[in-house]
Amino acid sequence: MDSYPIANAESVVARAQEGDAAALEALFRAFEVPVYNLARRICRTTEDAEDVVQETFFEVCRSIGRYRQDGSLWGWVRTIAASKALMRLRRNKYRDTDELHDEVLEIRREDTALRMDLEAALERLNETSRAVVWLHDVEGYTHDEIAGMMGKTPSFSKSQLARAHVRLRKWLGEEVLG
Amino acid sequence: MTHLTMEQLLALREPGVEPGTASQREHMEACETCRLELERLEQRSARLRALPTLRPSRDQWPRVAGRLNAARRQRRIRWMTAGAMVLAASLALALLVRRPVPAPATASQQELTSLQQRSRALEAAIDAYDPDARVLDGRTSRVAADLEDRIADVDRRLERTELAGPPGLNGPDVMQLWQERVGLLDALVDVHVTRASNVGL
Repeated sequence: MDSYPIANAESVVARAQEGDAAALEALFRAFEVPVYNLARRICRTTEDAEDVVQETFFEVCRSIGRYRQDGSLWGWVRTIAASKALMRLRRNKYRDTDELHDEVLEIRREDTALRMDLEAALERLNETSRAVVWLHDVEGYTHDEIAGMMGKTPSFSKSQLARAHVRLRKWLGEEVLG
Repeated sequence: MTHLTMEQLLALREPGVEPGTASQREHMEACETCRLELERLEQRSARLRALPTLRPSRDQWPRVAGRLNAARRQRRIRWMTAGAMVLAASLALALLVRRPVPAPATASQQELTSLQQRSRALEAAIDAYDPDARVLDGRTSRVAADLEDRIADVDRRLERTELAGPPGLNGPDVMQLWQERVGLLDALVDVHVTRASNVGL
């Protein structure tokens, strides 16, 4: 699997817009890892993340003619990927599981704080909260942008982020208050 | 003392001033617990950003390329069908305009009609095989896409010739283009149907 530097991806856009197959593959090679990483952080399974990668690049290749280069190419690809990942969450309608986990954790807590690895804690969040945390804290999207992609209000995005951080704090044993 | 909620702590990190943040900042200056909470929040976000990049375990490009090829093929077939209908209509119109009185068909007209019938039969064979629902290996897919490109090119040349009107209507150019079209469709049928029978699909 050859990779292609993201910095060079802009240089193949013109050829990709003409339908050049090698240029389209170069775009894929440049962005496949960050797109997969974003998809995998939001989706529950590797299979879902792989589907998101496919849907993202199918859309990128079909829509590259409409890319006007008024923002970064990665920003454009990333927004498509985030939308596809969120669409996948809605389609799968995963059950929100953190409530259940909370109950289990309370039973297992006993006297000592249960400390979890950050990866495991992130994985344990429900899909919506995890998506908001990742898009806001890591990818740098604003609440307005996240709300737009999710079809929700900015207040919804803010409350999901707060809820996620309360849970992460608890699961990581980082509580200061009370 | 009432401490800041997580939502209030998060609001303090947002750019711009939100209603109520001034009083919350004042509280923050006086409350060590909330300052520590905010610090831990910042650290948690930093640790999230520092998580390792997850990488795909297998190459997804062949599947993306396969979907793109299938979509292109569907578009071409739709285009070819529309093109054939336009050609048939323009031929009929030209015949009506040029020959108000029916005349006996010449040998070349009969040959042209025969080529058009053969072309329609081959397209029907491809439709019946339903190539969009099949999985092709990369090489076969490229050969099929190349043939479809060439058929689309013949259709464009046929359309231009027809639009130019008589005297080219039944001339050697039109005949040659229809022969080329039938040859390419024959090859496309071979690619799809023969392959299918070989592998028992």
